[in-house]
Amino acid sequence: MKKTVLFALAILMVSLLAVGSVSAQDLAGKKIAFGYQDLETEFWVAGHKAIIESLTEAGIEVLEYNANEDANKQLEQVRDAIAAGVDGVLIIPQDGDSAVTIAKECNKAGVPIAIFNRPPSSEDANNLVIVADNKAIAEETVDYMVSEAQKKFEATGNKLTPLIIVGDLGDPNAVYRKEGFYAAVEKAPELFNPVIEVDSKWDADVTLTNLTAAVQANPEVDFLFTSSDFLFPVIQAVLEPLGKWQKVGHEDHVIMGGLDGDKSAGILIDEGWIDGTGVQDLYYEADTILAALLDAILAGETEPNEWLADPGFALTQGNLAERHDDMWGNK
Amino acid sequence: MQKLKKNKLSQILEKLLLSDYFVLYLSIVCFLILWLFIPVLGSQRNIENIFSNMWPLLAIAIGQMFVLLIGGIDLSQVGLIGFLSVIGSAVVCRKLNPNVFSNSPLWGKVLFENGSGIESIPLSIALSILIMLLFAVLIGLLNGLLISKFKMPNFMVTLVFQMLLSAVAIFLTASENITGLPDAYITIGNDNVFSVFSIGSFIVIAQCIAAHFILSKTKLGKWIYAVGMNPKASRISGIPNDKIVIFVYIAIAFSTAIGTLLYTTRMMAGRPTLGATILMDIIGATVIGGTSMYGGKGKVTGTIFGVLFFVLLGNVLNHMRLNYATINIVKGAAIMVAAYIDVTRMKLSKNILIADDKKEAIHHFQEHEKEA
Repeated sequence: MKKTVLFALAILMVSLLAVGSVSAQDLAGKKIAFGYQDLETEFWVAGHKAIIESLTEAGIEVLEYNANEDANKQLEQVRDAIAAGVDGVLIIPQDGDSAVTIAKECNKAGVPIAIFNRPPSSEDANNLVIVADNKAIAEETVDYMVSEAQKKFEATGNKLTPLIIVGDLGDPNAVYRKEGFYAAVEKAPELFNPVIEVDSKWDADVTLTNLTAAVQANPEVDFLFTSSDFLFPVIQAVLEPLGKWQKVGHEDHVIMGGLDGDKSAGILIDEGWIDGTGVQDLYYEADTILAALLDAILAGETEPNEWLADPGFALTQGNLAERHDDMWGNK
Repeated sequence: MQKLKKNKLSQILEKLLLSDYFVLYLSIVCFLILWLFIPVLGSQRNIENIFSNMWPLLAIAIGQMFVLLIGGIDLSQVGLIGFLSVIGSAVVCRKLNPNVFSNSPLWGKVLFENGSGIESIPLSIALSILIMLLFAVLIGLLNGLLISKFKMPNFMVTLVFQMLLSAVAIFLTASENITGLPDAYITIGNDNVFSVFSIGSFIVIAQCIAAHFILSKTKLGKWIYAVGMNPKASRISGIPNDKIVIFVYIAIAFSTAIGTLLYTTRMMAGRPTLGATILMDIIGATVIGGTSMYGGKGKVTGTIFGVLFFVLLGNVLNHMRLNYATINIVKGAAIMVAAYIDVTRMKLSKNILIADDKKEAIHHFQEHEKEA
């Protein structure tokens, strides 16, 4: 309940910031470049839509650029946008390293830059960043999974075999999600065999290959965490033929969780296939970063430098009734 | 009268189409017209962007031109860019995150927390460039040997090398970017030292001059054209075809190393996936520049104009705020038109040659008649 109240207050504050501090009149004639690496998952598609809608509603001219997963192309696009006289730049970068390079370019040109959800790999440049507290969200999600593992262990007396699908570790989000997983699992070492790590590189094909090999080598896997919800269809494709894609409560159910909070994960939780997922509050992130960027533009700041956090939460079978509608994928 | 006017117009068009400067004229006309509608095109910053995008692509396209001149193609360039980018960066980098790189097979052997461990920055930069060039030459030599000596199809050999090199780059870095490059290294592709010229641009200009000299002033250049025009005839006339093939594949790899240096330094990181999506840009710019896909025809100046046109096109499309799909459709159409113009130019040249031969034959016949 306390969390719900805090969350509602946060939303209210952000809305006031977004609407109150920056009036539509002040923003008339402003131009913002919005560059993204691609829109390959539900999370990015929804994020793109939220950002474009917010900017357009505020009467801001949006220059949109798709880099098609080419970091060099994204740099060229941002340079062109700066030449076109944009007042600010908002990017979803290819990775944390290219975010730094692009932010430096914006700093050099005196154009404020905001980075959405994928944080820069170093603090060498000045930028606004909104990022979910990935470690805390992953830990909260896996904590719930561990509590389910405890019940299973007590019922069977057998240790569980945990598996984590790791993201591209060049992306700090992936690193923090992995850390959150280990932080939770290491709280109850007596429940688990050694952890099996499967590399995904944030790519469905890579995951399919690596997960198939890992599950063939370790068919006893019964505790699985994916660093991103978009990989659930791949997980289903691997587990289903082995009879391990079972609903919560079935004796062969693999205790399972993810992170993102997308629509597919929402359906899987509703139908009881998975135990939970960590939720990044997409709309909160979009509103917060835009409010910060627009404030900086109006204040004439050329190198605003602030890391903003999305506290997020875990939606689980345990709190589904109360928090179902708080997840962006369920809206 | 009208027919005469029509003939004159078609003659002018023919001349324009056959001119070495056709793409340059086209670029200038397009730029001037579009400038009226997109004023930002002519701004200093935008001109700087155009040139900054042009230098690395030009270095790489010059290499592709050499291979196209002998009627070949090199698809391995895009794999080589990623491979050389990580090899060069591994030598020069100063700092690495162990959490990220501990899975790399190079960790603890070549890569450490303080980078490559080479303390002197100038020495590490020199070594980095030298090693990139050495690897490039070696890979070019392998490509050339397989194609010339083992008579393997160039398409297949270079496609395999593309996959192989990309995979090795990803394996060596465990898919991570190598950051922590020294400022002196990054400067090569970034900071303009004079007008639109960075340090890297001078390297590319020197490369263009060398390539132009080889092709227009040396016997080697004549042989390259001869092999492209008719490999059988060139072999019969004593030209060492195999050596020429090996040379051009070394030249393209060498050129790729120069382009990689510029791309890597402007991105401030060695990236295993660098260049993975630019194959069409390279071949498109080269073909637009008038290099024939059939071999035997092409010039350095044409490639410069082709790259300029292609970069300008990308820049204009960005400023027109078109979506990604539309940009690709327009770029693809431009390459298709260039390929069609290539075919038309070939036909026109042949027709003109035949017409000249006919005129000469009639002239000889008339002279002969007079004498008789």
